[in-house]
Amino acid sequence: MRAGNRRADPLEIRRRARLMAKGSAGPTDNDSRFLLDPHRRGLPNVSRMARYGEGDEVDLVVVGAGAGGLTLAQRLARRGWRVVVLESGPFWDPDRDWVSDEAGASKLYWNEPRVIGGEDPVELGKNNSGHGVGGSMVHYAGYAPRFHPSDFRTRSADGVGADWPISYQDLKPHYERIEAELPVAGQRWPWGDPHGYPHAPHPISAGAQRARDGARAAGIDVRVGPVAIANGPFGNRPHCIYRGFCLQGCKVNAKASPLITHLPDAIEHGVEVRADSHAVSIEIATGGRASGVAYQAGGGLHLQRAAAVAVAGYSIETPRLLLNSTSSRFPDGIGNQYDQVGRYLMVQGAPQVAGRFPELLGMYKGPPPEISSEQFYETDESRGFARGFAIQTVGPQPIAWAEHVLADGHWGQALREYMRDYNHWFTLGALCELLPRAENRVTLADEKDARGIPVARVDYSQCDNDRANIAYAKATLHRIWEAAGAQDVLTIDRYAHLVGGCRMGRSPHDSVVDADHRVWGLANVFIADGSVMPTQGSANPALTIMALASRLAERLTAGHAAGSAVA
Amino acid sequence: MSVALDFRSADHLPNLREDGIPPPPERLPRQRRGITPQMHGRYPDYDVLAHAGHWDEVTRRVVLRRAEQTPPMRFFDAREQRTLRAFCDLVTAQDAEPKIPVLEMVDAKLAAGQLDGYRHHDMPEDPRTWRLVAVGLDETAGGSFADLDGADASRIVSRFAAGELCDGVWRQLPSRKAWGVVMRGVLSAFYSHPWAWNEIGYGGPAYPRGYMRLGVGQRDPHQAAEARDDDPVRAVEQAGL
Repeated sequence: MRAGNRRADPLEIRRRARLMAKGSAGPTDNDSRFLLDPHRRGLPNVSRMARYGEGDEVDLVVVGAGAGGLTLAQRLARRGWRVVVLESGPFWDPDRDWVSDEAGASKLYWNEPRVIGGEDPVELGKNNSGHGVGGSMVHYAGYAPRFHPSDFRTRSADGVGADWPISYQDLKPHYERIEAELPVAGQRWPWGDPHGYPHAPHPISAGAQRARDGARAAGIDVRVGPVAIANGPFGNRPHCIYRGFCLQGCKVNAKASPLITHLPDAIEHGVEVRADSHAVSIEIATGGRASGVAYQAGGGLHLQRAAAVAVAGYSIETPRLLLNSTSSRFPDGIGNQYDQVGRYLMVQGAPQVAGRFPELLGMYKGPPPEISSEQFYETDESRGFARGFAIQTVGPQPIAWAEHVLADGHWGQALREYMRDYNHWFTLGALCELLPRAENRVTLADEKDARGIPVARVDYSQCDNDRANIAYAKATLHRIWEAAGAQDVLTIDRYAHLVGGCRMGRSPHDSVVDADHRVWGLANVFIADGSVMPTQGSANPALTIMALASRLAERLTAGHAAGSAVA
Repeated sequence: MSVALDFRSADHLPNLREDGIPPPPERLPRQRRGITPQMHGRYPDYDVLAHAGHWDEVTRRVVLRRAEQTPPMRFFDAREQRTLRAFCDLVTAQDAEPKIPVLEMVDAKLAAGQLDGYRHHDMPEDPRTWRLVAVGLDETAGGSFADLDGADASRIVSRFAAGELCDGVWRQLPSRKAWGVVMRGVLSAFYSHPWAWNEIGYGGPAYPRGYMRLGVGQRDPHQAAEARDDDPVRAVEQAGL
């Protein structure tokens, strides 16, 4: 239909398109936002969720109901696949199960036994794991940056890390889809592949304004966002109330997690999520194909038969499951013929520096993600190390702030004094790209968990490039606070995020899955989580994990990867 | 009180003081509403529990139970309790009543078998680490840690924090890592308690009521106001009231 005979002004068309992209047009192939109840947080359609029998051979069984598993399930269900998702943790009803309280959030983490080692051991649990439907995105801060195109070829461009078997362009359409589905709010992004966001930036707090002033005075460019919190009408999702408890689970439904962005639509299209069901091993039938997944639930051992298996248990539980899935054909575990499972595990160096100001800032108010900079993301040889880091705001609640003060060397009266000073402080963090190393890996420890299954051991040691990167990032954060006129600073060294452990590559000799996430040596086992990443950039991984799962679903349904997957 | 209260300046902060020691907390205002540990703080008229009516029911239940009920000791024996109570009091500077029952809160968590999701390969499980720390502190004290005077006890804790305790029990317990384990437990207990929130002016639970005044110089009406010794007459005049 044409509206009259006037020719449309191209500028006007572009203006309208931009307006549509700014929140008024939601995704067309995911109805999750309409399937939520604006007055209750529990999913309304759980009562009519499909239930498959164990005797049924479903098309796909997914292990892990987090960013990767639920995105994959939603996509495939829309294409008619019959999917069962096994989740070790509970099926949350946020009204009933979550509290607006820091200490009360501990049940959102994977608190089961794990052993850590190496020269620079990584503390696990609180800030790098999830347990329950929705996974760790339930309690992530909400930062949703894309990877840069350079992240996919650091070996050829920078001589470090690894090249991915896919490129940024392969993921770009999926980044755009996921950003619309979460949705992501933020200023136009000038770094990496420049792009805009579907929702406008949120207002920022007094502390973030102090940090922005300091950054600008130090010659550092910052932007508001990108954060996966709706900022405007988005189906039945309420607007953010800026209460600051993003890390404790969003009781508002304002912050995105797959529990509300993908699962409602998945359930509507026939996905069953089986909570409190802990995967024990991937079962191998004669002929070397997986026949399903054995899992423990309700005190008994069960088997879900499936034509294909997708593991999405994240960088520790995924390798653990593969290593524990031994058979006469795979005596060292699945995908481990060349001793690759669990290797190249990565964390980001995440030092934080807080600055003190005369006025009350109240850093517990508002979502922790406010402003960020990727100005230092790429390699700059003058800095003396390869790759770089990102700068982001963080808003520690009191316990996290106490750990920050303790890390700066204070206890007793000194600690109490800094704690009383809480409202005068604001905190900046860095995310440093630490390089993948073969010896940083997940193995099986001698000890077993309460189910009798060997637990994971995680060894981690930094290299010189890592140490130089973290030191430079810390100095940069100090520079910002100095330029902002901070009266005092407090510093903590820490890590954030986990990726790698089952990386994708071009050969089973140095990777665990191929470019289609298929485990080498098995036609119908795929990995659909952050463990497939060969490098991690300086970006928070959630958006990329979802984008990878979205792409995998496309490959599976288009037949590229399926071929022999679903016979 | 004659000492000027001006928290716009940062002179009270340990990093900025020659001796690294903050001024004595007795200089601070006494708490007028609600309770703080030792009844001093920077927000004398702020009681986070007065806002409990604005919290969602599930959160209210969890936080009020924490404030109102001191869990019974089930995990530590009498000797461990004595030593560890002295330790907890010292590292949280709780030298007078009212005290947040840190050790009881730690005990409850250990008795319930709640873990934090990791263990260093060269360390025992957290519950055993706590018991060994009690033994180690007494060993290092050459008797009972709880009987030491403040200066001697502080010296031992300083060495503990720096990872410098290496003899006896500490041979099987790297003290730097053990310090991390016990302090994680101590700080999560202390700063999860509403009395500590009163002391530091923290807003506490914020659902379903959130915040709307985020910007510079803005404060939501239910947020804590910091003590200052402005002349009230001049302050009112300056505000144009």
